Amino acid sequence: MPSTAHITFLNRLPIKSNFLAAFTLTAMISASKAIAAEPAKFQVDPVAGQILEQYCIDCHEDGTEKGDVRLDNLAELTLDARLDMMNRMHEKVHFEEMPPKKKKDQPTEQERKQLENWLAEILHANNASKLEDKLRMPNYGNKVDHDKLFSGKYKDLPGYTPDRRWLISEFIFDAKMNSLLEYTGQRDIDGKRYKVIGDNGRNGVKVNLTNPFLLPTQSGVRYYDTTTLDGGHLLTMLTNAKELSAFMISRAKNKTYLPAIYSIMGAEWEQDKILADRATYLNANIEPLLVDLFKDKHDSLLPKFVATKPAPPVTIGPDGKPLNLPGFDYAGMSVEDRDQIWAAIRRYSQDGKMDESMIVKSERDWFNFGLSERELIVRVNFMRIYMDEFFKRMPKPNTNVPKPPAEAELAVMRAALLKHRKAGDNYIAVIAKCMTEWSDGFRSEREKASITEEQISKLVDQLFTKIIERAPTSEEQAEYATLTKSYYQKIGSEETIHKLIQTIILRTDFVYRQEFGEGNADENGRKMLSPRDASYALAYALTDSSPDKELAAAASSGRLNTREDYGREVLRMLKNRSQYYIVDDAVERIGSDSFTNMPIRKLRFFREFFGYPRALPIFKDNKRFGGDYITVSGRAVSEADMLVERILEQDTNVIETLLGTEDFYVFHSGNNEEMAKSSAYVRKIYDYFKDKDWRNFDGLKLKEHLAFLKENEVRGVNPDVVAKSTGGKEALGGFISTMSSYEDLLGKGQANAVPFSSTPGHGKTEGQTRTGTQLRGPEIAKCFNIDLKNWNYPTTQPTKMEHRKGILTHPAWLIAFAANTETDPVRRGKWVREKLLAGSIPDVPVTVDAVIPEDHHNTMRTRLDKKTKEEYCWGCHERMNPLGLSFEMYDDFGRYRTEEFLEHPDNLIKKMPDKGPPQDDLRDIYKTLPVDAKGQLVGTGDPNLDGDIKDAIDLTGRLAKSTRVRQSIIRYAFRYFMGRNETLSDSKTLIDADLAYVRNGGSFDAVIYSLLTSDSFIYRKPITN
Amino acid sequence: MKTRRDFLKSTALGAGALSLTPYLSAFGATAPANGFPKRFVFIRKSNGEIPSDLALPTFSAADKALDDKKQALEVDLDKHELPAWLQSLEKHKANLCILQGLSSRMSENGHFSYSSVMGAYKSNANSLSGIKRATIDFELAKLFPSPFGHVELSLLGDYTKFRTGIVSGYSASGPHQRNYCYADPQTAYNELFRAVTNPDSVDSDNAMLTFLENDESFKEKILQGYEKLKLSNHIHSIESIQARNKKLSQMAGSIAKYIPKIGKIHADGGLTASSPEKQAAMTDILIAALVTGLTNVVTYTIDELSTPIRGLPGNEADRISIHSIGHNGSYSGVSANKIRDNIRTGHIREVARIVEGLKAVPEGKGTMFDNTMIMYFPEGGEGHHGLGIEAPFVILAGNNCKLDMTGRYIRLPFHATEGHKTIGNWYTTLLNAHGNPIKHYGDLDLDMSRLKLDQMGAISRFTA
Repeated sequence: MPSTAHITFLNRLPIKSNFLAAFTLTAMISASKAIAAEPAKFQVDPVAGQILEQYCIDCHEDGTEKGDVRLDNLAELTLDARLDMMNRMHEKVHFEEMPPKKKKDQPTEQERKQLENWLAEILHANNASKLEDKLRMPNYGNKVDHDKLFSGKYKDLPGYTPDRRWLISEFIFDAKMNSLLEYTGQRDIDGKRYKVIGDNGRNGVKVNLTNPFLLPTQSGVRYYDTTTLDGGHLLTMLTNAKELSAFMISRAKNKTYLPAIYSIMGAEWEQDKILADRATYLNANIEPLLVDLFKDKHDSLLPKFVATKPAPPVTIGPDGKPLNLPGFDYAGMSVEDRDQIWAAIRRYSQDGKMDESMIVKSERDWFNFGLSERELIVRVNFMRIYMDEFFKRMPKPNTNVPKPPAEAELAVMRAALLKHRKAGDNYIAVIAKCMTEWSDGFRSEREKASITEEQISKLVDQLFTKIIERAPTSEEQAEYATLTKSYYQKIGSEETIHKLIQTIILRTDFVYRQEFGEGNADENGRKMLSPRDASYALAYALTDSSPDKELAAAASSGRLNTREDYGREVLRMLKNRSQYYIVDDAVERIGSDSFTNMPIRKLRFFREFFGYPRALPIFKDNKRFGGDYITVSGRAVSEADMLVERILEQDTNVIETLLGTEDFYVFHSGNNEEMAKSSAYVRKIYDYFKDKDWRNFDGLKLKEHLAFLKENEVRGVNPDVVAKSTGGKEALGGFISTMSSYEDLLGKGQANAVPFSSTPGHGKTEGQTRTGTQLRGPEIAKCFNIDLKNWNYPTTQPTKMEHRKGILTHPAWLIAFAANTETDPVRRGKWVREKLLAGSIPDVPVTVDAVIPEDHHNTMRTRLDKKTKEEYCWGCHERMNPLGLSFEMYDDFGRYRTEEFLEHPDNLIKKMPDKGPPQDDLRDIYKTLPVDAKGQLVGTGDPNLDGDIKDAIDLTGRLAKSTRVRQSIIRYAFRYFMGRNETLSDSKTLIDADLAYVRNGGSFDAVIYSLLTSDSFIYRKPITN
Repeated sequence: MKTRRDFLKSTALGAGALSLTPYLSAFGATAPANGFPKRFVFIRKSNGEIPSDLALPTFSAADKALDDKKQALEVDLDKHELPAWLQSLEKHKANLCILQGLSSRMSENGHFSYSSVMGAYKSNANSLSGIKRATIDFELAKLFPSPFGHVELSLLGDYTKFRTGIVSGYSASGPHQRNYCYADPQTAYNELFRAVTNPDSVDSDNAMLTFLENDESFKEKILQGYEKLKLSNHIHSIESIQARNKKLSQMAGSIAKYIPKIGKIHADGGLTASSPEKQAAMTDILIAALVTGLTNVVTYTIDELSTPIRGLPGNEADRISIHSIGHNGSYSGVSANKIRDNIRTGHIREVARIVEGLKAVPEGKGTMFDNTMIMYFPEGGEGHHGLGIEAPFVILAGNNCKLDMTGRYIRLPFHATEGHKTIGNWYTTLLNAHGNPIKHYGDLDLDMSRLKLDQMGAISRFTA
């Protein structure tokens, strides 16, 4: 950057020679002076001015102003307007977007650098540069020139990542919370019970946590190091911290959880336990105790019993018809009421029979105990209405009689009862008085004690270790000890512990991952990650959890200091299959499996890169689908996950297979053996009955087959009902419905049946998932154009599907990149351009109404062309439409088609039923027009691949062969594992990863290994001004 | 010039991050142009609402025929009697609108709709990822900031067995964000009015925040560039919460003036309190939360299917399951329909108390109610297993509310017919009327889409 000569860039004359004259004739001052002198006259560096004059001014001066941009009047602009314009210039120059590529006259690399340096210097001096922030953003990732990155020209630049804090992700938050809550989910997988990571339902843990660290939902890479904690995060974390502190303190009653808390709170908790034990014992035994203590006087001291006399239960309504009583299980009875009624029945029923005297005796007992009138009536009513049920369901008596308290304790209780019982007191009142006396006494004892220095020190130490996963430094120890004391003086011991836990949870090092270099810098100013930070970086690269034992041990024992050390740990983790993870709880909730035992972030890369889970929130119409769509959406995503997982497990030509496979899972659990059994089970039942006149069975006829039905559960048929003397009349409906389903599945001579039945029910009679639930969503077959009534079900899958090639033709992906009621060629094309061809598409200009007009006489293609082929739109759309339109061979549910429905009431040909079994297609029939799925592929850089394409199958086949596509995916993998965009200094890392893939037969593990042992991953460099 | 605001904007938007600051955006709490904020109360009830039960008993034969056929209809309330269960609103008829004909097909419906009925989307059971957007109450809360931003109350769960305390709420501050809510009166009281009831606790919160602020400020001093900004942002966030706490402390006098008295029966969660007692206490708290200015938006789930009903007039001694009522179960000789009627009569009595509570507090030349809108509606459409074909709303609005609908019974065109309106249209109307120009809030109705019927935007007849 020249520092001696600058020229006033003012009052630019419209004639070029004058413009140059102005450059050469005006006095020159230094750039720094010019900046310091703001808002004095703005001046342009003469070299930059020459470059602008040569390459830019023709199009951006008064009179031309292409894109409404003028560069000849910078000095006339206000400071903010000028800086804004210079930021725009900076971006265009940096990304080589200007001059336009079609212009022959392009600046040299040095000229570009000179212009960029001048712009950067001015912008930085005014604290106004925006390019650096933008460069970090995901949507700027592809702005770095692909060819340059892989050219080899920059491979000697030293790779590194800046020292950084990286806000934890939604997944890491959940893992941290589960760790603090000591919660581990479990699943039955293939018949065995496993602990799983990623079950965030936290059943049985009464803590309300809100995850504030949610990642954006875009496809590609979602987790970048650019997000910073804001007020919303912090406020949510404040509430979370309160919930967690309450949980942790409660949990610390187990002495091993956080012994320091117990050492402070133990005395109080012991006293609480004594009080609770006394209360429990008295509640269960007060009557015999009082009888023993007061003997003959006992009855006279009881409160005067007043029977509640509730109205007799009414079972007939005013219309003379029986009222519909709630069933026993749904009557709203509390467990306490139910158990007490059973206890009373056990005590007073004569020979297992009920009489009114039993109810009166029970009521008197409860009255003496102290129940309110309302509570008494509730129990009496329940007894009267449901007496038969109570007898029928009577549980066995609990034989585990609690051990009586020690004699000393009994003596204390007896003394208190003697002291406090007054005439007319019910038992609850007596117990309350005793409890108050004991509680007050204990509190008084505690108030004499105080917290010690040692207790505080241990508390700080243990909380840091538990929450931050490291011991506090000596400075932190001292600082937090002081804080603890100040809390303690004001709010007492328990509240102090609450506040201390909350304080530590709200520290930046809880919510941010730390990645800083340590030790001596190399000649490029880089330092290796500290071993501890490296252990977290590696753990979080492949999982959501903190380092496992081996990794933590490696960090603490000096075995995480070299590239080889990193490699050893990466390989170990990549091979590990002993841990199961929940992939997506949303899929589970819809009723499909969603687990894996490969390191979760490996699978997650591809599911996020392809973005097919976005199929779940797309709200779609059952009627347009022609069946039950919601369950299908879960099955589609689950089966896409299974397919990706399988390809990753094979780890051979991963990218090519993902993009080019013709084998898919369709209504399959992933367990071939079990699916074969399920299919055979359907056949067995069908074959048994098929030649019998099952459609005309009556109850008695069905009963003739009771032995078979007992041995082979048939959906909707309860053998106990069939066994009735009148025969299985009530079971006929279910039987015929199931057999009708099976007839549909096997009646056309199919070898194997799809394992499902359209009979509603809760049983698990046909296909099951690997977690042992009913396999749901057979209508996924419709997305593959399979007629369930005419499908020879392949029990071994994945299996070849017609008209499909790769994940981009999977219904999950096609739905994810569709609108609610129609396809979305633009988004599909944009995805291919950005994710596979390393291209960029600008955001839709705010002035553009990006809506495809309704026109029910034309296809989507025609409508889109009409809207986007104008010159103004086509500049961008030519990079998307020719790619996206090839997917028009599928509709918005992913069904292959050659004709497009023109869905509009005016075009309705046939209205189909709204309800029917899954095997029926309930879509309304509309007029159609032929689909044109032709397109064009431009941008692979390979003349053998670029060119006209027939359809999406043709497209995906070519993409699977493309070097650029492979490298583009590797660029996204880099971003995923590094949490940032690549720069030219990461060129070697990318080339190495690409080579590793190629040399290892298309192994994605090799890519991960290469990335996680690269300079870009290992080295850190401090950010300076 | 790049400011910290620019930085935050660029980082949040660039990463496609979610806006998670509805609470915090409230801290600025600048008064709206007319000097008084608008207030909104959303009261969710379970078990659906049978549309015919809202029909006016004094309809003319012609109007009744239209109403029965679900055809569009508009009738002035002052010429009619209200259904018996709405009688508590008789003297507020001028502020009342019975709005029939809205649909909620795009929400979950059935037994539970979770957050979907206030967000106009399918919630995929109750999964976090199913929460598609900030619910309407949070959107409105952003328009009328307050120290709490938004308050959610509920009577969820079996409060006769354990203290319900703070539970997961049904409102959502943004996509995938589940709110929390106060589920028993004593907890709500303690948390909302802490500045008065427990100033030591507020002080200790502030001490903690000050400590954190100092600690992070020290770290910030030794950093540069982007990393420095990350920490300064953290500190700024702490400062914002401190500012809110400070504001709450300053409001202690005002809070003390209006703080309600909560009966001893509600101590420790009020396990023995009856449903009417619980509801009455929640109403007192709700009114006080609005009157003190702690919030301008309250969402209150007055019951849901897991809520046991105890002490209901006519069934004082029963422990009623609302789910059983939905399946036509009777208790103590009282039919399910009658119990359903008794439950909602109690609800409306509480709604009337809210109206009266706010009408009793002067504001400007009128009362606080003038700037308030209360909506009472079913979470699951037109019945216990509702499909969302109809979602009747009982609306009470003060004189300064910007919608032209009060004093009337309005039936909009039926679902999937020309001119039909969804809850999405209704929520869009609320937002447009109060400063959010959104084109359409919520998911579209797919039956309407399939039939190519227009369904975008606000309900213009109310905004005219």
